[in-house]
Amino acid sequence: MELKSSATLPERALHIALKVEGGKCQRGDGAGCAISSNSATTPGDMTERGCTYAGCRGVVGGPVKDAIQLTHGPIGCAFFSWGYRPHLADTDFHMKYTFVSDMNETNIVFGGEKKLLQSIIEASREFPEAKAVFVYNTCSTALIGDDGKDVAKQAEAIIGKSVVFFECEGFKGVSQSAGHHVGNETIFRQLVGSVEPEGDFSRTINIVGDYNIKNDIRTFEHLFEAIGLRIVTRFTGNVGVDDLKIMHKAALNVVHCQRSATYIADMMQEKYGTPYINVTLWGMKHMAQALRDTAAVFGLEAEAEVVIERELAKIKPKIDEFRQRLTGKKVFIYQGGPRTWHWIELLRELGMETQTAATTFGHDDDYEKIFEQLDEGGMMIDNPNVPEIEEILTRRRPDLFISGNKEKYLAYKLGVPFVNGHTYDTGPYAGFLGMVNFARDIDKAIHAPIWQTLHKKARPAPVAHHSSHGFAHGFEEGE
Amino acid sequence: MSCVTTQDRAVAINPTRSCAPIGAMLANYGIHGAITINHGSQGCATYPRHQMARHFREPVEVATTSLTEKTTVYGGKGNLLEALKNIVDRFHPTMIMVCSTCLSETIGDDIPGIIDEFQDNHPEITIPILSVKTPSYVGNHITGFDNFLKVIASDLPDKRKKKGETNGKINIIPGWVNPGDIRELKHIVREMGLHGLWLTDYSETLDGGYYEPRPHFARGGTTVEELRSSSKSLATIAIQRYIGGEAAHVYERRYNVPAHVLTMPIGLANTDAFVDTLTAITDHQVPEALSVERARLLDALVDTHMFTSGLRVALFGDPDTLEGLVGLVAEMGMTPAYVLTASESGPWAERMVELTEELGVESEIILKGDLHELHKRIKAKPVDLLMGHSKGKFISDAEKIPLIRLGFPVEDRFGYHRRSIVGYNGAISLVDEITNVVFERKATSVVSNTLVELGVEGPTNIPLVYQNGNGKH
Repeated sequence: MELKSSATLPERALHIALKVEGGKCQRGDGAGCAISSNSATTPGDMTERGCTYAGCRGVVGGPVKDAIQLTHGPIGCAFFSWGYRPHLADTDFHMKYTFVSDMNETNIVFGGEKKLLQSIIEASREFPEAKAVFVYNTCSTALIGDDGKDVAKQAEAIIGKSVVFFECEGFKGVSQSAGHHVGNETIFRQLVGSVEPEGDFSRTINIVGDYNIKNDIRTFEHLFEAIGLRIVTRFTGNVGVDDLKIMHKAALNVVHCQRSATYIADMMQEKYGTPYINVTLWGMKHMAQALRDTAAVFGLEAEAEVVIERELAKIKPKIDEFRQRLTGKKVFIYQGGPRTWHWIELLRELGMETQTAATTFGHDDDYEKIFEQLDEGGMMIDNPNVPEIEEILTRRRPDLFISGNKEKYLAYKLGVPFVNGHTYDTGPYAGFLGMVNFARDIDKAIHAPIWQTLHKKARPAPVAHHSSHGFAHGFEEGE
Repeated sequence: MSCVTTQDRAVAINPTRSCAPIGAMLANYGIHGAITINHGSQGCATYPRHQMARHFREPVEVATTSLTEKTTVYGGKGNLLEALKNIVDRFHPTMIMVCSTCLSETIGDDIPGIIDEFQDNHPEITIPILSVKTPSYVGNHITGFDNFLKVIASDLPDKRKKKGETNGKINIIPGWVNPGDIRELKHIVREMGLHGLWLTDYSETLDGGYYEPRPHFARGGTTVEELRSSSKSLATIAIQRYIGGEAAHVYERRYNVPAHVLTMPIGLANTDAFVDTLTAITDHQVPEALSVERARLLDALVDTHMFTSGLRVALFGDPDTLEGLVGLVAEMGMTPAYVLTASESGPWAERMVELTEELGVESEIILKGDLHELHKRIKAKPVDLLMGHSKGKFISDAEKIPLIRLGFPVEDRFGYHRRSIVGYNGAISLVDEITNVVFERKATSVVSNTLVELGVEGPTNIPLVYQNGNGKH
């Protein structure tokens, strides 16, 4: 399938594919499959992608609940990354503060190391309860060659607590994805294994790659505990610095977001021999499978079955009700990475079909998992830009668009029902109970009476008297 | 007497300000069919888009040149040339504004030179392509907006102007306000029987309606043709000194269009000054409709003074908003106890000292300040009200002090972008909101329009009755 909106951008055809008859893959350029991913964005294509800093500060580091989140750079990077992603935690300090070394022109000319050191010391003095200082590097401070690592070392000696320096300057990669990698490596190198606690860790796990969006953990952590397991560390939703330091003690890593957190699972396997399993903690089938797979590692299969049966019984009547109302609806999912493929099965359990699946920063393995699960006629698209999204919404006319805040108002302006998959409308959406929330929000979005009103009552924009828009002679409205 | 203090800390904790590119992007949204290309990392476009979408609840589209590690080594020229072509081919904009970033400024890309090269290679592309410098490490969000206006004033207007030639309009630079504010200003200008030329006008582009089919470009915005004719206007009025003040003087110097740089028209006296300026520029008299609104504001101030007089208020935000707001706060008999801005401007601080003196109120003017500093001040000596953008909510929650939301961003409430705080009507709605907040805080019941205070419940431990509106307690 060709998108008209990208007719002048031939390279975009490599990022689009259809699942055609016989389950075969047909890429936009006519070739067989393997769509191009994790590659540089076409300049000026109106991408939705963010930067490496965003992936590191916003996704991986930001959720750590008792660290001072300090940006080494100008004010904007710190202001915009402050408190917008609802990775909730149970400390009073979390998400309320953003810290920045506030680089000005003089600092850029003469270097910002002194100001960074001073900033770390002051921040730590103002908030002595913080357990560590996380310092995130930005474009400008990286380009002028500030040695943030060295400053962090000096600062650590002065303040007496961990100072973790993330080399996550915005331009480093092609998307946020590079920032996840930096976040994983840095936390692993600097924190994991720095404390050796005593005790029995034989029946323990880490939940890796969950960020506790709108309290997702409340839907599944108690289930792992109910089958007899203890959670040592969450990476990184609702996690404290001290927990990260003993992360290596857990017997198993349970990896949920396999784009942003497999890195640390791999590193732990190599260094500490910690095995890991990949799971999906959304939807009935996958959540049950996650419990089964985890339990199997510890020989707790029977316990898992009890929990699964009990939990499914709680939600099944409600899910059945929603399925009746949602069967046959077609969905366009556009998420950062794995959520897109995590949710195809969940939507199927609700009787819905994923008509188009897209990710902002997915890699080849993400698209393989998407393609496997798509029905014939399904389309997948890598790093879609605004005109492409608009074209999909208007030409393929999904009944529902699941995406993020930036795309929400585009969907609304086009009269397409929308659920926010990034920050959730009224989450949590994970686990068994969260699926009921998800289904309820989907149902509310699709069946809200506003769509009938819109399509029956909306009118075209008033006729333009002016050459290019609706104001006579360019005077103000009402002239 | 008011005093000026400057925050002395290297680290900024909870800043009140953001960075330059978002200012230029916002301003460019006020031009019909114009598109912004941000020359830098993707985050420099995506973060501001997120922020603007949270405030305006509208689709916000800004292109990026997507610079990466490779392009930082070899320069971003290729990416910018490609982005310009792609934007023209796919969007057919009426104008393109390229704003820079920390990244492109630090690696030293010559953006005007690259644009020249693009235009030389593509003589068929005749739309204006402007370059605005917006590295985040110089100034803040208002700097980007202001730089944009200076470029507009210098580059776009028609320089061939015959002697005495006029378009009969008044250039009005609203600065960093809300769509609702621009609509209120338009209302005043229209009631005066005048025609405004808005530099720029995002009153509809960022507060648009639902139409089927969706128009290719959001309705509204000043057209490029109008901008070209802005050199032929009768005068320029900037209602913010730090956004548009200099651009107004560019119009005066280059095109002989007289500049009027005013205090932001918040409250009675400041709105009077705006209306008086319109009268002075033209021979139009104040119409009945505006006189009635003015009288209604006076009436609201009388009706509410017993509830608001003597309240201590903390204000934070951009210098121009604060300067205007202090006027209304004093008119309501309240004391602007703390006036905190991220700006470091000495002249502004001096003017604020004089202004508060004239208004008979005593303030601490805090320069280079952040919200953590304000929080510490409030903990030491509390206030009854906070006024500023949404990020003040953390102080508001912790200290249980109501926050009157205004400025940018307001991301945790709905519809504030539609409201107005300027003009007589804007003042009336602020007076209403503040008084209602006092009612909610101070009283559990209101009998016969009289506030009934119960016990010691209240935002501060300073009894209201011992204060007066002149700040001389």
